[in-house]
Amino acid sequence: MARPSRENHAQFLLVGLLSWLLPGAGYFVLKEKKRAIIIFATISLTLCAGLYIGSIGVIDLVGPAPLYVKAAQVMNPPIVLVLSHHTAGGGYPVYGWPNEIGQIYTMVSGLLNLLCIVNAVSLAHLRKTEPVGE
Amino acid sequence: MSVIDILMIATFTAPEQIRPNPQAMLWLLPLTAAIAVVYKATKLPTITVGVFLKEAAILFGSIVVFIIITALALYALTWLISV
Repeated sequence: MARPSRENHAQFLLVGLLSWLLPGAGYFVLKEKKRAIIIFATISLTLCAGLYIGSIGVIDLVGPAPLYVKAAQVMNPPIVLVLSHHTAGGGYPVYGWPNEIGQIYTMVSGLLNLLCIVNAVSLAHLRKTEPVGE
Repeated sequence: MSVIDILMIATFTAPEQIRPNPQAMLWLLPLTAAIAVVYKATKLPTITVGVFLKEAAILFGSIVVFIIITALALYALTWLISV
């Protein structure tokens, strides 16, 4: 089995970083275009649905929301960090079920993005380390 | 910035009105579909439209059926405790 070199590590890092910046971008780099389009569309729609249901107020990275909510939401693309900067002052209050459902949607989109990041890096690793013909 | 842009942004700055009734449980369906689609997109070795839709639909159905069974079991347990 071939060993991953330093150059390969840079590619794994690039794939992971691109996947986080834009859902599916890691797969696009690996020439998995169908996968990339499906993942981009689904994760973006889930995140937008969460923001539509609960408003951007559900992104509350500095407020009293539980840590697991913040940890899952931060796995979304960096637009969440920009939104959290705007919502930090408590200018977009949201309570009750819209808050719960919006949080669940944004958390799930973040966790799905994490799954795709790990899977894209894993795919890149497999392609680099598996010998041709096996 | 046009009026349409402002209205579009406004829809994301105010929460929707969702009442705590049984119909609100239907919000789990789009979420389940998203989970099934993304999971199958990461797991299938090659993606063709027919196979992908079939696999995603099976997973979606499995999750929904499992949720319904769990809900019924919890409902039965609650009924037994409260009788």
